[in-house]
Parts: sequence; structure tokens; C-alpha cells
Amino acid sequence: MPSGALLFQSVILGLLLGGLYALLASGLTLYFGIMRVVMIAHSAFLILAAYLAWYLHESVGLDPLLSMIGTVPLFFAAGVGLQRALLTRLRPATLTMMSVLLTFAIALLIEGLLGYAFTGTQRRINLGYSSAGLELFGARIAVVKLIAFGLAAVALTTLYLLLKRTKFGWALRATIQHRDAARLLGIDTDRVAGFGFGIGLATAAIGGTALSLDTTIYPSLHWHWIGPLMAIIVVGGLGSVPGAAIAAMILGLAQSLLQIPLGTTWAQTVFYVALFATLAFRPQGFFGGRLAQRF
Amino acid sequence: MPNVSRILKIGAIVLLAVAVLAFPGVAPNPYILSAGVLVLNYAVLSTSWNFVGGFTGYISLGHGALAGLGAYGTGLLVAKGGLPPFLALFLSAAIVAALAVPIGFAALRVRGASFVIVSISLVLILLLVFQSWASVTGGSRGLVVPRPFDLSRPEHHRVFYYLFAALLAAALVAWWLIDRSRFGLGLKSIREDEDKAEALGTATFTYKLIVFVVSAAFTALAGGMYALWFGDLDPVFQFSILTGSYLVLMALLGGVRQLFGPVAGAIIVGVALEYFKVEYGDTPLHLVATGLLLALVVLFMPDGILPAVGDLLKRFDRSQRSSIREVSAAELREQRLKEQAGTETGGKGTGDDGTGRTAMTEAGGTTR
Repeated sequence: MPSGALLFQSVILGLLLGGLYALLASGLTLYFGIMRVVMIAHSAFLILAAYLAWYLHESVGLDPLLSMIGTVPLFFAAGVGLQRALLTRLRPATLTMMSVLLTFAIALLIEGLLGYAFTGTQRRINLGYSSAGLELFGARIAVVKLIAFGLAAVALTTLYLLLKRTKFGWALRATIQHRDAARLLGIDTDRVAGFGFGIGLATAAIGGTALSLDTTIYPSLHWHWIGPLMAIIVVGGLGSVPGAAIAAMILGLAQSLLQIPLGTTWAQTVFYVALFATLAFRPQGFFGGRLAQRF
Repeated sequence: MPNVSRILKIGAIVLLAVAVLAFPGVAPNPYILSAGVLVLNYAVLSTSWNFVGGFTGYISLGHGALAGLGAYGTGLLVAKGGLPPFLALFLSAAIVAALAVPIGFAALRVRGASFVIVSISLVLILLLVFQSWASVTGGSRGLVVPRPFDLSRPEHHRVFYYLFAALLAAALVAWWLIDRSRFGLGLKSIREDEDKAEALGTATFTYKLIVFVVSAAFTALAGGMYALWFGDLDPVFQFSILTGSYLVLMALLGGVRQLFGPVAGAIIVGVALEYFKVEYGDTPLHLVATGLLLALVVLFMPDGILPAVGDLLKRFDRSQRSSIREVSAAELREQRLKEQAGTETGGKGTGDDGTGRTAMTEAGGTTR
């Protein structure tokens, strides 16, 4: 039986990790809600943002957190462009399948270009506060992990308020719920959908920056993220943001706790086990609403 | 009298078969021959993929993992189980087919998106398992599969070239048979509109599951054959998401609704891949090239090359005009006047031109 301190530390780390998963999964959920698109390139953009943070830190000594000033608007624009210029060109009848392939192709492109530009070497940002930590009831928590979680929490809260309290948020949710009805009410759904994609990709920019703080990055890392993220959105019920957030916290916690008896590699399988179990026994997901049942 | 297009089609198939069978004779060196084996392997794999992708429209990015399972199954049964190689090959394909039942059950119960998610997860989870479970699979050090024949290297390639060709023929025949059957019709109705298919009484879930298992079995056979040919397995290459995407790219590029689409795609992409490997070595550029090509195909040519070429040929073939034609108002008026004149005189001379043309468009419509 592991000691109490170790267990406590694992719980804390699991929750911190779950926060990051929740932020990233919320982006994936948005795409799926808006266009029924499974965006494979989401995690590739995540790694791209991490690389940009690393590169800016390496070349001009910019703090990774400041790099968000540039990457977030850039990714927002990229998201809008992706939706308006590429995804809307696909035939509606085969959109779900073809968009997977298209975003998969984009992921390959990003991975290949990153590998070409920065080689496959593993990179890591060394910050003054990288090794700083906090002692809490015998558990040691790295400051950078806390910052990453803080970023994720702030971004998720902002997203929540944006969706619930602003006019744009209402329009976006209306578009997700019923596109034709939204259009009848005078909402410019194409525009809103584009912006929704932009917001989704902006979460990848924030997540990537948070990731770069305490993780070693390499171009093919995104495959390690897309699997868990896809599992999370399925378990949460495709298209449900709160469902994805809850599933992310639970699965992040489970992964962290399973690392004690199983080791890091086998602990990752918890996501896939959860994915298969969900699809086999409750295909609409555990927290999903009406939307998920149709898919 | 059999029509011309049928003769042409049969002629093309015979020509293709002759070309495939004659290739080892004209291959200048063993390397080219081994590249030929690889292309044939891809052709079998993407034809197997097309059982699911082409008929039902469900796109799997995880067929690389099924091939990897077949390869490891065969390899382990031969290396650790001591079974004869070809018994191991079929046994492993049967095991993979059995495994495909629960996988398909989870993946196909709901529509669309979750199938893709499961297929990608399958690759990721199997890579994880086969790398970590080193005591059985050899882990990252790889698994050496003993060769089935005691032959020189070029002879070994030659034998496996023909074995792969036979497997390809079997897969093509199976695809063709399903394509013509009632079962195939049901599958295609799922592709076109799953709701309507279900409403008309098609057992959509069962159909999808059966065809997924058939596809998995052929994929595993190709993977196992690869293991016997290549003799060395590494989880990174066997359970690579890239392999799965190559198969999709090949099938889409060639045309998923055509019997020979995946083969055509495999020849194009397979040769390009080999060329890239020789010219640029192991740079990340092949990822860029694959990504670009896939994006272009998806955006601009989702029906593939074979239909595109077919359309182009039709354009030159004046006997098979499409139903939409450019007719000027003056021509139309003349035609109408002629028809009127024809009916007024008792419908005797309806006008050779008029009947001839309608017959022609009808013929064009039915053969299309």
C-alpha cells in the first residue's frame, strides 16, 4: 500500500493534469458541436504552440507565458481560416469522415514541418522557476504545474462565461443546438461557426503554452495527447463541454493514481479502456445530452 | 453480343494481371523486386481496407494496427509457438478476425465519429502494449521471425511476390463478389444513407460488423505474410498510425468505389514512398508530402483517380454522351418543329434524328 503522502501527491497531480485535459477537450468538444468534426489536428496545434513558446524563449528569452500574446490571436485566426477556407469546402454528406482525414493531414503536415524545422530532438524550456516547488501536507507540487493548471482554469472559466453570458456565446450555442433555427433567428451561423473554431484552436494555444512549462516536447508528441483527448470527449458524451471537463478530471485522476501500481506506460491505457467500455455499454457517453445520442 | 466497354474492361484486367505476373522477370535487381513486394503488400492492405471504407463509407485509420496484429500473431506463433509458418498465418488471421468482433462491436454501434476515434485509439493502445510487454513481444528490440523457405534473397523475394499476388487476387475476388451481392447492396445503402437503409429493413449493425471482420481477416493475412517475408518486426513500424493513413490515402486516391481503385492508389503511393525513401532518406518530409497529398485528395478528388480518368475518357467518347448537353435555343426550336410535323402526319416519320437521339441518351444513361 503506497504511503498517504504519495497518494495525496498523486491526487493533486492528477487534478492538475485533469485541468489541462479539460481545457483541451473543451476545444475538441466545440469543434464537434459546431460541425460534427473530430479534429485530429487539435493536439498537433497544441505541440505547435509549445514549440513556438520554446522557440521564443530560446531565441529572444521571452517568458513562455508572454508568448501567448502572440500565439492566441494567431491560433484564433488559424482556426477561423481552417473552418472557413477548408472544412466548408467538404461535401456535407461525408463531412464527418472527410474532415477527420483533412485534419489528420494537417496534423501530419504540422508534425513533419516541426520535425524539419527543429529536428526530432527533445526540447525543454528551462525557466528560473522550473525547479521551484511547494510543500503541502508532505506532497511536493512543482510551481510550473500550478501555473499550468491556473492557466487552464482561467481559460476554462473565461470560455464558460463567454458561452453563457455573452451574446456571441448564445449565438454559438444556438448554432450548436440547431443550425437552421439559429439562422432563422438572424444569426450569421457561418460566421459564428468560424469564430467557434477560432476559440477552439485558441484553447490549444493556451494549453500548448501550459504544456511547454513542464514537459519535454518533440514533434510526434501529439499522438500521445490525441488518444486521451478523444477518449475524454467520448466518455463525456460527444459535444458536451461540462461532460468533457468532468470526464477529463476523472480520467486524469485515474491515470495519476494508476501510475503508482502500474507505472507510467500502462497507466495510459486507462483512457482506452474507458473509451471501449463507454462505447460498448453506454455509447452516448456518461454526461452527454441529446446531441450525443445521434452519433 | 458483349458490348465494347465490357471487352475493354476484361482486356485491361488481363493486361494488369500479365503485367503484375511478369514484373519479377523484368525487375533489374533484387531491390526493385523487394519494392514490388512492398507495393503488392500495400495493394492487398488497401484493398482489404476498402471492404469497410468503400462499401460502408466508414473510414478507419486503424487498419495498420490490424495488420500489425496479424504480423505479430504470425511471428509469435512461429517463433515462440513453433507452428509451421503458413498454419500460423491462417491461425493468426482467424485470431485477429475474432478480435475484430468486440472491436467492431464497440466501434460500430454508434455512427460515424466514434468509429474513427476507436480506430485511431486501437493503433495507439496496441503500440503502447507491444512496446511495454517486452517479455512476450520483444518490445522495442523487435521480434525476429524465422524464414519459411531456405532460399537465396532474390528467390525469397520472388516467391513472396507471387504469394502476395495470390493474396491480392483473393481479396479482389472477395470484394467483387460482395460488390455484386445483395449483402454488398445493403452495405452500399449504409454508405449512401444509413437512416433510410435501416428504415428499409437492412440489418445495418450486423452488416457493418460482418464486413469489418472480413476486412480485418484480409488485413491480418497481409500483415502476417509481411512478417514471414520481412522477418523482423518492430512495434513502432507495425503499429504506426502512418501505415493506416497510407492505406486510406491509397484507397481514396485510386477511388473507393472501384474494384481496382486501391490497387491503382497503392501503385502510385507505394512507388512514391519508395522513391522518397531513396531520394530523401528518413527525413520528416515524407510526413509533409503524405499530409499534403491526403489534404489535396480529400479536398479536390474525394472520388479518386479512376473515376476522374473515366470521366475524361467519356468526354472523348461521343457515343456515351451525358444526359446534360448544350443545345442552343435555335436547335431546340427546329427539333420541336420537326416533331410537330411528325405527329401531324400521323406519327409515321417521327424523324430519324429525334428517335435516334433519345435512344442514344437512354443508352448513355443506363451504361453510366
